[in-house]
Amino acid sequence: MIQFDQVSKRYPGSDQILKNVSFNIGAGEFVYVTGHSGAGKSTLLKLIAATELPTSGTVLIAHQNVSKLKSSAIPFLRRRFGLIFQDHKLLYDRNCFENVILPLRINGVSEQEAAKRVRAALDKVGLLNKEKVMPITLSGGEQQRLAIARAVVSRPSILLADEPTGNLDASYAADIMAIFQAFNQVGVTVIMSTHDALGMSANQSRVLHLDHGLLTENPFMQKTLNLETAPTEKFSS
Amino acid sequence: MITWLNHHLQAIKLVLSRMRSNLLSTFMICLVVGVAMCLPSLFYLAVDNLSKLTDHMKSETEISLFLKLDATAANIAEIDAVLAKNTAIYQYHLVTKDEAWQQLQEKSKDNPNISSAIGQLGKNPLPDAFYIQAKSADPDTLETLKNTLQSIPGVEQAILNADWAKRLATLLGIGKKLTFFITALLAIVLLVIIGNTVRMQILTQKDEIEVSYLIGATNSFIRMPFLYAGVLYGLLGGVLSVLMVGGIIQTFNYSIMEISRLYGSDFSLKIVNAELYLMIIGLAIAIGWMGSYLAVTRAISAIKIS
Repeated sequence: MIQFDQVSKRYPGSDQILKNVSFNIGAGEFVYVTGHSGAGKSTLLKLIAATELPTSGTVLIAHQNVSKLKSSAIPFLRRRFGLIFQDHKLLYDRNCFENVILPLRINGVSEQEAAKRVRAALDKVGLLNKEKVMPITLSGGEQQRLAIARAVVSRPSILLADEPTGNLDASYAADIMAIFQAFNQVGVTVIMSTHDALGMSANQSRVLHLDHGLLTENPFMQKTLNLETAPTEKFSS
Repeated sequence: MITWLNHHLQAIKLVLSRMRSNLLSTFMICLVVGVAMCLPSLFYLAVDNLSKLTDHMKSETEISLFLKLDATAANIAEIDAVLAKNTAIYQYHLVTKDEAWQQLQEKSKDNPNISSAIGQLGKNPLPDAFYIQAKSADPDTLETLKNTLQSIPGVEQAILNADWAKRLATLLGIGKKLTFFITALLAIVLLVIIGNTVRMQILTQKDEIEVSYLIGATNSFIRMPFLYAGVLYGLLGGVLSVLMVGGIIQTFNYSIMEISRLYGSDFSLKIVNAELYLMIIGLAIAIGWMGSYLAVTRAISAIKIS
């Protein structure tokens, strides 16, 4: 579903962020992207979401080469993804309902159908009773759940989450992880970057570990892990 | 198709709700558009009505067609037939040499000098003549008509006395040019004002635009509400301008009708001038659309890069 082949990324005037990264993610997988801050986790997710293009190498999303897509086709590629950001990127000038409905508006879904789906999405993240509330009054965890509702409301096949638990305390983070796992169980591919090991211990998930732009993968995690020493196997496609 | 329709409906709803929450500033921008459109419209009206007034005076521009002295009744009939076919002629009448001779004698009856001079002539020196009124008062058209008439066989001379018409037409020409340039300049001003207003709106919506791009919005989706905003500013401003022009015409009409009555005319300005009003509104909408299109296209590329 997502294929990286010898992908490198360098921003103008900076070091190489990603160096010859290759991997393959199939449909329905739950993948963590780990690494210290600045290791290139966010860049990796941006390359998948086509908000950045690789400097060299190819990124294939559903057999489409992202670099070769016309710029007019990129919005349609992005609609396959549900994007979740560490800083939520919620819109604070409108209530929860209006925040979640945004992707459906972009997809041109009719208002009645959209309202149903927004309520279903809010229900899934446990915010159904906060429909009319302004996001600024929500707690950090609730805001992140709202952002998840917005990401899943258009029923994307892939969820991309960039440090979704980064700013949350442990109990909120566990809530969020449980939500992601629930989506993964119904077949949604989840790709999530994180700099801490919390929540990963719950299942035997695949981990892509980045260290200064180099990718190592250890497919099965132990119950407890030390990320700095964990990489065991150099991944090659 | 349904997706497309939904996008448009959503954009219109969004724009209307934004305008409702900013009623005062919306009214201000519409007022600016209205006043700016009002000025060239009034200029246009003034020039247009002056040229209509010259049409009222059409009877003053007459072409006199003098026939050769030896013209026979058959010649006159021939020329009559040619004139009847000419579509540029509004009406014409024939004054035969005998009628002219009689008229001259009648008129000079009271003046002994002239009547004695006429008496000395002995025979009628006057030619048969056609007096022709053209449909148009435009000097160029009249000149062409005069030349056409001049070339009819049997015609001695065609005389057009249209100096004043020429002068007036030149002045009207200047007025038309002035109207054009005022319209063009104000259109540029409006383009800038509407563009700037839309640019400010885009800045306040910057977060929404960024997030929308991230979740797969196309350029046209982002652009649409702003384009509708521009079009609505144009539409409302245009309507406001029409109301103002209508009101101004109404107040002018009181004085104009009074003057007209003094001159025994029923001339007045038309209040309902559908062509002009549609033109004002159409132009305002076009300017609104263009101003916002330019602003939104520039702003979008700036947001995308950042």
